[in-house]
Amino acid sequence: MTTFRKRLSQALALTVGLVALNVSAQDVRSWLNRMGIAVEELNYEGTFVHVRGDNTESLHIIHRNEAGSVSERLVSLGDAGREIIRQDHEIQCILPDRKVVLLEQTRNISPLVSALPSYSEGLESHYDFAVIKTARVAKRPTQVIGIRPKDEYRYGYILWLDEETAMPLKTQLRDENGEIVEQILFTQFDVLEAIPSSVFESTIDTEGFTWFHPPKANILHSSSVSWRAASLPSGFKLSVAKQSPIAGSKYPVEHLVYSDGLATVSVFIEDPKTDAEVAEGFTKVGSTNAYSLTLSGRKVTAIGEVPRETVRTIAASLTSE
Amino acid sequence: MTEQIHYQISAFVDDELSAEECAFFVRRLERDPDARAKLMRFMAMGAVLRDERLPHDAGFLRSRIHDSLDGVAPARRAKPRAAWSVSSRFLKPLVSTGIAASVAVLALFAIGGGDDLGLEPGSGAPDQALQAVDSSVAPSYVVPQDPPFGGAITPPIRYTNYLMHHGEYASGLNRTLVRANVVSIREADLVVESEEAFE
Repeated sequence: MTTFRKRLSQALALTVGLVALNVSAQDVRSWLNRMGIAVEELNYEGTFVHVRGDNTESLHIIHRNEAGSVSERLVSLGDAGREIIRQDHEIQCILPDRKVVLLEQTRNISPLVSALPSYSEGLESHYDFAVIKTARVAKRPTQVIGIRPKDEYRYGYILWLDEETAMPLKTQLRDENGEIVEQILFTQFDVLEAIPSSVFESTIDTEGFTWFHPPKANILHSSSVSWRAASLPSGFKLSVAKQSPIAGSKYPVEHLVYSDGLATVSVFIEDPKTDAEVAEGFTKVGSTNAYSLTLSGRKVTAIGEVPRETVRTIAASLTSE
Repeated sequence: MTEQIHYQISAFVDDELSAEECAFFVRRLERDPDARAKLMRFMAMGAVLRDERLPHDAGFLRSRIHDSLDGVAPARRAKPRAAWSVSSRFLKPLVSTGIAASVAVLALFAIGGGDDLGLEPGSGAPDQALQAVDSSVAPSYVVPQDPPFGGAITPPIRYTNYLMHHGEYASGLNRTLVRANVVSIREADLVVESEEAFE
C-alpha cells in the first residue's frame, strides 16, 4: 500500500510537472507569437543600447505599419551615424563613414511573414522555455522569458517582453555556457498612434556618395537554385530558396534560408563570375557568425545568429543537385 | 547642468546608477566629448590621490555598462570602495576647479579611444512554396563610379549586403539585432579566422 501510494504520488507529481511545463511552453509560444506580430505591426519609436563584445552603441528606431506598408528607420547615434531605412521591400543602408549607399530589394517575397519563424510546438524539441519573472525596462512592466537550447547548435535567449505590447524591450543572446554574446536594451520606448512619413527620410547629405543598386534581374525562380545543405543541425529546415539581386554586384546571389523556428541561417552562393572578395574562414560580429569557403568554384557564405559550428556544418555540406 | 554631470560621473564611478541610468549615461558619453573628458579627469585625479594607476583603457567603462546590463542586479564588485567613495565625494568640487592640473595628470596615462567603450540529413525540399521573383520591377544596376574604397566590393560591404538580406528572414526576435549589427559593423570587427585557428 505504501509502495502504491508512493508511486501514485510520484505519478501525480510527474503529471503536475509535465502539465506545468506544457503550460509554460504554451505561455512562452503565446508571448513569442505576440512578439512577432508586435515587431512588425506596431507603430513605435525608441532608443536602445546595443552591446556586442567590447562595443556599445546607441541606436534610435522608428517603425510604422500603415495598412501593411512597413516603414522603418534605424539610426546609429555613434560617430559613424549609419542608417538603415526600409520602405516595404526596399532597404537603403547609408554608410557616411564610407560614403556609400547600398540599395537592396527584397521584392516579391510576399508574404514575408510566411518565411518567418512561427514559434510552433516543434521548437520544444530544441529549446526549453520558461516564464521567469516580471521586471521593468524603460519604465514599462515586462515579462521575462527564458529560452535555453538543448544542444550546441543554437543560442539561448532571455527576453524582457513588454506586458502591454509584447515588444522585446531587452534581449540577451547567450551561448552554451550562459555567457552573454549580444544584447539590446531599450532605454526609451513609445507606441505611437501615427507617424509622419517625413521621419523616414534621411537627413544625411549623400552628395558625392557612391550608390550601389542591385542588378537588373532576369526571372529568378527558386527552382533555379540547385544548392542544398546535405547535413543540417537537428530542427533546421529550408524555408526559402531564391536568387537575389545584390547591391553592387552584376550577378545575383543564390540565397537559401534555414531556420529551426527561432534561429535563422542564410547561405549565400556567389556567381562564379563575380569579382566579390569573400575572405575564407570564420567571421564574427556580435552573435552573428559567418563561415565562407569555396565549393565548386563558387564562394559560399553561411551567416546567422548561431554558434560557429552551425554555420560551418551547413556551409560545408552544401551540394549542387 | 555642470552639477548634474558631476553627480552622474560620481554615481557612475561609484556604481550607484541603475541599468537604465547607466545606459543613458553611456549614451551621453558617446555623444559628449566634454563629458568623456570630465569622467577621465575625475578618474585620473582619484587615482592620483589614491596613488593608483588609472586603468589603461576604457575597459573600466565597458565592464561597468556590461555589469549593469547583465540583468541580474546592479553589479557590486569587490573593490576598495570605502576610500573611493569618500574621496569621490571629496573630489566633486575639485573636478570643477582642477582642470589645469588634470591635463598634466592625463598626459601621464594612456586613454583609450573615444569609441572604446545531433545532425540529420536535410530534406532538400523547402517546407513552404518557394517564391518566384518578377523581373518586371527590377531596378537597374548602376556601375559604381569611382569607388571610394578601391576595387569593386570589398568584404565589409559584401558582408553588409549579406546581413541586410539575411535580416529580412530573421525572426522578430533577431531582426533588430541583425540590423543593429549592420549599422554598427566596423571594418576592424571583421576579423577573419581560418578554420585551423578555430580548431
